[in-house]
Amino acid sequence: MKKLVAQRPAILRRAEFLSPKDLLQRAGAITVIYFILHLAGLREYTSVLNGTVGSVALGWKLSGFLAVIYILFYLALVVLAPILVLAAGLLLAWQKIGARRATRPDRRRAWLAEL
Amino acid sequence: MPRLLAGTIALLVAAVIWLPCLHFFFFRPAAKFRQPQGLSPAATELAARHLQLWTDPVQREAELKKMRVSNAEWDFMGRSYLAWSLANLCLRDPANRPAYLQTMDRIIDETLRLEQQEGMYFFLMPYAKDHPFLVRPAHSLFLDGEIALMLAARRTIEEKPAYKPLLTERVDGMAARFKKSKKLLLESYPDECWVFDHGVALDAIKMADRLDGADHSELIRDWLAMARQRLVDPKSGLLISACQTDGTPIYGPEGSSIWMVAHSLQLLDADFARDQYDRARHQLGAITLGFGYAHEWPKTWKGDADIDSGPIIPWFEISAGSSGMAFIGASSFGDDSFLASLATTVEFAGFPKRQNGRLKYCASNQVGDAALLYAATLGPLWETVNHGGRQ
Repeated sequence: MKKLVAQRPAILRRAEFLSPKDLLQRAGAITVIYFILHLAGLREYTSVLNGTVGSVALGWKLSGFLAVIYILFYLALVVLAPILVLAAGLLLAWQKIGARRATRPDRRRAWLAEL
Repeated sequence: MPRLLAGTIALLVAAVIWLPCLHFFFFRPAAKFRQPQGLSPAATELAARHLQLWTDPVQREAELKKMRVSNAEWDFMGRSYLAWSLANLCLRDPANRPAYLQTMDRIIDETLRLEQQEGMYFFLMPYAKDHPFLVRPAHSLFLDGEIALMLAARRTIEEKPAYKPLLTERVDGMAARFKKSKKLLLESYPDECWVFDHGVALDAIKMADRLDGADHSELIRDWLAMARQRLVDPKSGLLISACQTDGTPIYGPEGSSIWMVAHSLQLLDADFARDQYDRARHQLGAITLGFGYAHEWPKTWKGDADIDSGPIIPWFEISAGSSGMAFIGASSFGDDSFLASLATTVEFAGFPKRQNGRLKYCASNQVGDAALLYAATLGPLWETVNHGGRQ
């Protein structure tokens, strides 16, 4: 089991909470789950939004449950996932600018030393 | 800066950037939904799906069964909106008129057969049986008006001799009952008179007059005067939705009703219609972050969600029923900016499913899609009636 965990690809390894990689992983997970639900045909059940049962055979409760799951992941895909990706981009840009600033005084010191 | 704080700030900034941009990804210009002439892409795709439903009895049965679990009225109204849409499609797309007329006749014939075979309660909600109709023999203006409008629309496009006596019988019956009613209010359900149904019925009567040379202009004039005097909610200036036969209000102004009422009034009194639409647009219509929607009640009226309003989404007070019917209002009155914003919303939250040139909105149902098709095609039929009454 330990061996299997160690072999997990870098992209699947758990990242630090709210780090750029963590945000991207969450966006990716939302996308994958949404498409699985979509391919399973759950979009049809969203008719509960207007008070129509998604499937007479499955009944109100199960149809409603499937609709809620689908709608939540759809909203997560179109509203939340882009925000996560944008936030990851902002954090990366922030980190880069921070790193550049941090190295700037060293360069100046080196230049003064040269003089 | 600590990671958690930086992450939270980044998420907030990203939300502020993304949320106002979201509607751009679902934006549909009004012309994609409805065009002044010819067929818009939405009308073509919605029509294709409905025509397929009426050629595939298994699929149609499944759709109707799902709707009838909630509301038998939807089965009936889905037929009406589709038949009225087909009349407009005949005028917009003359090349396919034979196919449209054939489907229209099939809808009318099957609806009349079901009404005769199963009785009028087949298309009414169960509470219609809780109390007897006050006027005997019992008639529902909901059924009579919409069937009459189907027949009148069919005959306006192309005469069908078999439908002439059927239309005359409905119109004469409604006119006679109006004459007997002191307040000019007819029941759709026992002691429940819907303004929506009166608008549709009077449209049918006017169309029948144009077709057959009768004259009910006095009835229409008197009803409009009565409606202005008794059926307008004083606070909002909007027509109420339903009242008792003595004029006592039951339901106040409602979005699920007023948009269609304004549309039906266009044929009866253009100024009154415009006034009602403008008030509804101002008090019920809303656009947030580029997404259009409609409330069920104006701020001055408190109501409870019901089968007509559909579920109300809290905070924004979005009514699925009112938002769907708002398409008919916006299309009727050429309100392209509101129409485009509604079309954007339905792309976002209507869960469209496009397959082989056919379109259905999964969050809707057959009657909802038929109403959208009507909104995407309406116009030519009303113009034809206003210019003489026959194609």
